[in-house]
Amino acid sequence: MNSSLSITDLASMAPLLIFLFSTLSLMMIDCFPTKSTLRWIFVFPIAIQILAAVVTLYAPLSENPLLTRWIAFDPLARFFTLLFICIGIGCSLLAISLFQNPEISSSNIGRGEYFILLLCAIAGLIMIGSAADFLVLFAGIEILSIALYALCGYIKNAGYSYESSMKYFLMGALATAFFLYGVALIYGATGTTSFAALLPAYQKLASPSDLALFTCGIAFVTAALAFKAALVPFQAWAPDVYAAAPTSVVAFMAIGTKIGAFAAFIRIFLFYMPEFSPLWNGAMSVIAYATLIYANFVALRQKELRRFFAYSGISHAGFLLIPLVVGTAGAIPSALFYLSMYALATFVAFAIIATIDKPSQPLLMTDLSGLFYRSPLNASLLTLSLLTLAGIPPSVGFFAKFYIFKEAFSAGYIGLVIVGSLMSVLAAFYYLRIIALMATSEQTAQQLMPLLLSPTARFVSVFSAAGIIMLSLFPAPLLSLLNNLTMALP
Amino acid sequence: MCSLCPLIFLLVHQETLSTPESLSLYSAWFPPLGIDFHLKIDALSLPFLFITAIVIPVSICVAKSNNETPLTAQFYALILGLQTLTLAFFTAQNLILFIALWEAILFPIYFIILFWGGHGRQKASLKFLLYMLAGSALMVAAALALYSYSAVNGNPTFDIDALKSIPLPVSAQKILLAIFVLAFAVKTPLFPFHAWLPAAYGQASTSGTILLAGVLSKAGIYALLKIGVGIFPEVFKEVSPFLAALAIIGVLYAAVAAAVQNDFKQLIAYSSLSHVNFILVGIFTWDATAHSAAILQAFNHSITITALFTVAFWLENRIGSTSIGQVHGVAKHMPKLCWITLAFAMAAISLPSTSNFVGELIILERLFQQNVLQAVLLTLSVILSAIYMLRWMQKVFFEEPTPLPGKSNDLRFSEIAIIAPLMLIIFWIGIYPAPALRQIKLAVINEEINK
Repeated sequence: MNSSLSITDLASMAPLLIFLFSTLSLMMIDCFPTKSTLRWIFVFPIAIQILAAVVTLYAPLSENPLLTRWIAFDPLARFFTLLFICIGIGCSLLAISLFQNPEISSSNIGRGEYFILLLCAIAGLIMIGSAADFLVLFAGIEILSIALYALCGYIKNAGYSYESSMKYFLMGALATAFFLYGVALIYGATGTTSFAALLPAYQKLASPSDLALFTCGIAFVTAALAFKAALVPFQAWAPDVYAAAPTSVVAFMAIGTKIGAFAAFIRIFLFYMPEFSPLWNGAMSVIAYATLIYANFVALRQKELRRFFAYSGISHAGFLLIPLVVGTAGAIPSALFYLSMYALATFVAFAIIATIDKPSQPLLMTDLSGLFYRSPLNASLLTLSLLTLAGIPPSVGFFAKFYIFKEAFSAGYIGLVIVGSLMSVLAAFYYLRIIALMATSEQTAQQLMPLLLSPTARFVSVFSAAGIIMLSLFPAPLLSLLNNLTMALP
Repeated sequence: MCSLCPLIFLLVHQETLSTPESLSLYSAWFPPLGIDFHLKIDALSLPFLFITAIVIPVSICVAKSNNETPLTAQFYALILGLQTLTLAFFTAQNLILFIALWEAILFPIYFIILFWGGHGRQKASLKFLLYMLAGSALMVAAALALYSYSAVNGNPTFDIDALKSIPLPVSAQKILLAIFVLAFAVKTPLFPFHAWLPAAYGQASTSGTILLAGVLSKAGIYALLKIGVGIFPEVFKEVSPFLAALAIIGVLYAAVAAAVQNDFKQLIAYSSLSHVNFILVGIFTWDATAHSAAILQAFNHSITITALFTVAFWLENRIGSTSIGQVHGVAKHMPKLCWITLAFAMAAISLPSTSNFVGELIILERLFQQNVLQAVLLTLSVILSAIYMLRWMQKVFFEEPTPLPGKSNDLRFSEIAIIAPLMLIIFWIGIYPAPALRQIKLAVINEEINK
């Protein structure tokens, strides 16, 4: 057996290595600040991420068993890596707008650490997306989470922000404990932590005690991931944390963490263990019903913008659960298509929220009123994003939902399709209410504080909106890409 | 100006378009999902394309003739977007494309109400949209069910023509038809699904109201013929008498409601509801001639209601309010406006020699063959419509003249130029309906052949 790493193997791991070294060097740069590094420090992480994205495209797929035992090198991993790097670039650009906010730029909050933590979080996400073993998955989740705990409390002069960070940390620690305990139980039952060996090992399980161990383990792992994805009944942290964290961090949590959790779900339960037990699918369908119904009803009554997006995110997680309930590898493209749509639309929304941001105070929906008169472009982009999230045709949101419903219907989950369709009407109501608010008259608009003009946030919103429009008109390339990913199943 | 292009195209190519299988456009859109961008003009869609092509330019001209709208560029963009979506809707051949466009055409109108409506525009537009979305919530599920049934033939498809020939169990047909009819009934609207209508019609600007009454309600009628009659003929035939009864109640209810309005915009809104339900009676009368009369009547109603809302808007601008009873004797100050309004009011009452007479008479005659009681009740609507229309005419235009708030200015030439073509169409079809009927027969004949 080959016991050393060749150059090819290192090249195939290059994206992760780039993140590792750039984080370290960013730390060094930040330790010896000069005026110019403080000013231009954000250029470095963005350049690094673009480099990593390019490298990902050309990285060879390693076949060295020393690595493949732990890290999957397959088209799916590559897709996730690219997706996460794009999310990282978007979040870095949004972070720049955070530091342009007068409230922040006048205080003595450092900038370098933010990007160090962000790069760490992205590296964690990439590890989640390409994990082939529970231990790597755990490491990825922890790298992501610990960076996020710190990011949530990043605005040190707002006590509000501490609360967010503390809550997230305490709940997150509990979820971590659950995850580890679950992995331990699974290891106890099957003697392996490798995903690829999991299904054969499970099928060989004979004694009821082993089966019970395994089932408990899977239940704990599922609960921990459900916590990260903020599924009902593990959603309670999300609204509080979202409401108090800086907007650019919330954008990262709403997009990055959510997609990361679903990447883990897809990896384990759709990719390596499709339809291993009807019990799991049944349990997931219960969670899906609960998430869809709870989140949509509660979102109706929200008045605070970031809190609202927490519930809207939970409801989208409910839709994303549907392919998991279906549980076949064929459902992977529908989930990925929905994730791409969700990421683009949420980026537009948060890039526009960044322009009305008040980092140390709650952000109310009424802060958006009259936006159509204050900034027609921003308001139109936000409208596009909200209509996409609401799944209104002819935006890609409708077709993403339709794809998921089609998978569910052909697998026989008609109840989920019906509940999902009815909940879409509620969702349309609360998204449209924001649009109606933006169309209120100019008088109220003038009393609000001026918009923050940030070229980077503008870039993110326009770029993502262009992505939504392209995806609505020409979805075929992405769809065929996603279908090719699942062709290469193990 | 762009909005006229479809009309010109339709007029120029009318001869070629009359043949079945005339013109189609096909391109794959979401290949793995079975959603294709497939448009086809057939005999059924042709009258509805004409409606869109005529009503939308008029609604633009109405908005332009009075500089009431800020953000004009956005306004025209929305109307042209609506026209595009509507034309695509009336020709869509793929069921999912059909449903997507069905919902998509709501949004331009939603924004038109939201930005250029009256004081209660936010509530009205949201109510309108939620009714529509709630009505069509389960359509996607129904389409998926049809898809899975069509898989029995070995080739699952969303193609509407192909779906007409798949074997469907009757129990499933009933549920699916109910889902589709609910959606179509809310949009048309069929009594008792009209609760959104007064607020939306009342709050929308005149262009918005014209679009709602002239274009959007016809989408529901077209959809009933295309999906209801096309895919579920047997079950549709079974439930038709029940639905016809609802529609007749709707005709009478709306006529009575119109007769007690003190606001002439609301009066015309209720008269529109009444006439639309009359058209629905034609569709629910299971008979090819009645169907073709219903299509003709859909066309007539669009023209008449567009004209009525237009003249009512001009009247409102000149006398400064929409209430009946404050101002009298407008005829003395504005004779041209008065006589033109009277002509359209006569058309709405469906006097002989106006186009509505032809359509309503055929529907009544066919209904009489099937159900005498229903036909007799329906005849009452003609009397009721005379009551409410003439009451409006009499109170506002005649009686003892009151002084006007502003200076009296009769219709300008540009305004007459907008309205004259509509009047020509009304009298042309009213006096010589044969060509239009022949055209529409084709649609129904195609339908028969498909069965």
